[in-house]
Amino acid sequence: MSSHSSPATSAPLDLSRWRNLPLILMGAGGLLALIGAFVNTKQFGYSWLQAFMFFLSLSLGALFLVIIHHLFDAVWSVPIRRFVEHIACLAPVLFLLFIPLLILAPTIYPWMDPAKADHALHAKHAYLNKGFWYARVFIVFGIWTWLSFSLRKWSLRQDQSGAAQCTYAMRKYAAGGVFLFAVTLTLAAVDWVKSLEHQWFSTMYGVYYFAASVWTTLATVYVLTLVLKRAGPLRDVVRERQFHDIGVLFFAFTVFYAYIHFSQYFLIWNAALPEETFWYIKRETGSWWDIGMLLIFGHFALPFLTLLRIDAKLNFAVMIPMFVWAWLMHFCDLSYNIMPIPHPNGFVLHWIDIGCFAFMLGVLAKVFLKSFAAHPPYPQKDPRFAEAMGVYVPPATSGQAAMAHGKH
Amino acid sequence: MAETPKPYGIVAEFDNPADTMHAAERVRDKGFRKWDVFTPYPVHGMDQAMGMKNSKVGWFTFIGGVTGYITGMLMIWFMNAFDYAIPVGGKPMFSPIYAFPPSYELTILFGAFGSLGGMLFLNRLPRLHHPLLKNRRFTQVTHDKFFVVIEASDPNYSETETRNLLESAGSKHIEVVEE
Repeated sequence: MSSHSSPATSAPLDLSRWRNLPLILMGAGGLLALIGAFVNTKQFGYSWLQAFMFFLSLSLGALFLVIIHHLFDAVWSVPIRRFVEHIACLAPVLFLLFIPLLILAPTIYPWMDPAKADHALHAKHAYLNKGFWYARVFIVFGIWTWLSFSLRKWSLRQDQSGAAQCTYAMRKYAAGGVFLFAVTLTLAAVDWVKSLEHQWFSTMYGVYYFAASVWTTLATVYVLTLVLKRAGPLRDVVRERQFHDIGVLFFAFTVFYAYIHFSQYFLIWNAALPEETFWYIKRETGSWWDIGMLLIFGHFALPFLTLLRIDAKLNFAVMIPMFVWAWLMHFCDLSYNIMPIPHPNGFVLHWIDIGCFAFMLGVLAKVFLKSFAAHPPYPQKDPRFAEAMGVYVPPATSGQAAMAHGKH
Repeated sequence: MAETPKPYGIVAEFDNPADTMHAAERVRDKGFRKWDVFTPYPVHGMDQAMGMKNSKVGWFTFIGGVTGYITGMLMIWFMNAFDYAIPVGGKPMFSPIYAFPPSYELTILFGAFGSLGGMLFLNRLPRLHHPLLKNRRFTQVTHDKFFVVIEASDPNYSETETRNLLESAGSKHIEVVEE
């Protein structure tokens, strides 16, 4: 036992040098994006969409982690739940960031142009029409905001009272919310990315975006947990177990993502129907082929083989580069889905891409840090907290348990 | 003339997991190599208390999995593209795309065989008899007793010193088991 040296004895990480980074990103990125919007409106639309889908991944992935925490009555994730709730609560900010897309939608979605209406669009008209598309934007953001804020509201309320009722309330939101989450995420992925090529069919598409989102979120949560532990706020409450479990989930989602993307490709390859294969044929053109290969070997094979050993998940020298790599891979993945529309000849990293990405990162980091600073850094009186700290909690006697559940 | 029985090792009985764990830490710190702890149920933290490293079974699983994957790919290539080529829907005779699902299944199957075989091999199983099984008190290990066993073949083994070590670790009952 004594052989484990505690990182709590080392000096806290000093982050004061980085304090202005979100503002710098916002300023510089915002300027680039703004110039881009005037110089090349179409490219700006696609770049903005790409950056938006990237950060939407993190918010939705975080919402999913909070939901499954409650669904499984998890113990290990109690100390990290609060900051994950804050990431999920970025939903209304993301709605504000969606406004440029509300305006530019007719420029970037070819199906919105009446001149380009074809039989495929006609067949899908009941779903894919302007009015319903705009309505869905408000519906999905409304649901995400309501769900993430309700979960955080009860969590913060429990900080005051410590009442088990708060846990039961969150559990109800999670149980109903997981269905709403699945449907709204699928609608978002289909509406905002897949409908770029409305002739295409794929029933995997929502799950595909979901798998990639949770994968990227887990890498992000791992590194944020490490930073918050080293910097101080989570110093005493995060232990080896949290890193191990996030690492294991990240590993699982590495495989899950590969499974989903392969299934999509495999069915299309096997059936060989022109209305499905065209999507991949476009993505075998020019350097899109190389990006496809990068997804197979970089998004799947490399993390899979690296994380196969259990001790890799606890090795920060492996996991921090893995997090940077995961962000890069998710960016390439979104590029692979979105960018063949404006750049059919191959992958292009446009300066407007970087501007939009930096701007959104800055805005969201700023809001996240603000909400993190405004509330306790971890759930203060969660009934599962002692257990998460490795303290044995004897089970309640049957009489107390019955009272707590309000049954009998 | 009957041979004089060789000692197999020294068996120390404990009443609860905490005492057993502390005894294990002391045995570990003395540098013993050939010893083991027997408990009625898995005890969390015992691996660290015994100073055990991560199991090597994973390597057998990995090699099994890789073998399975290659076997699957080669089998499908041999059957569908080489030995008796079957054109289907104008597709290539062999492609890793359609060969992937069966190869992946074989990866899992051979990986499972690797795990099972590796586990048996590393545990030196199956074996028909074990010296500890003839000890009356040791049968309580499946009920409510905990045992630390140090084998006589360990270089640090000495009947008196080892006995003293286990006694000072709090064992209530210590005996020597013969081969």
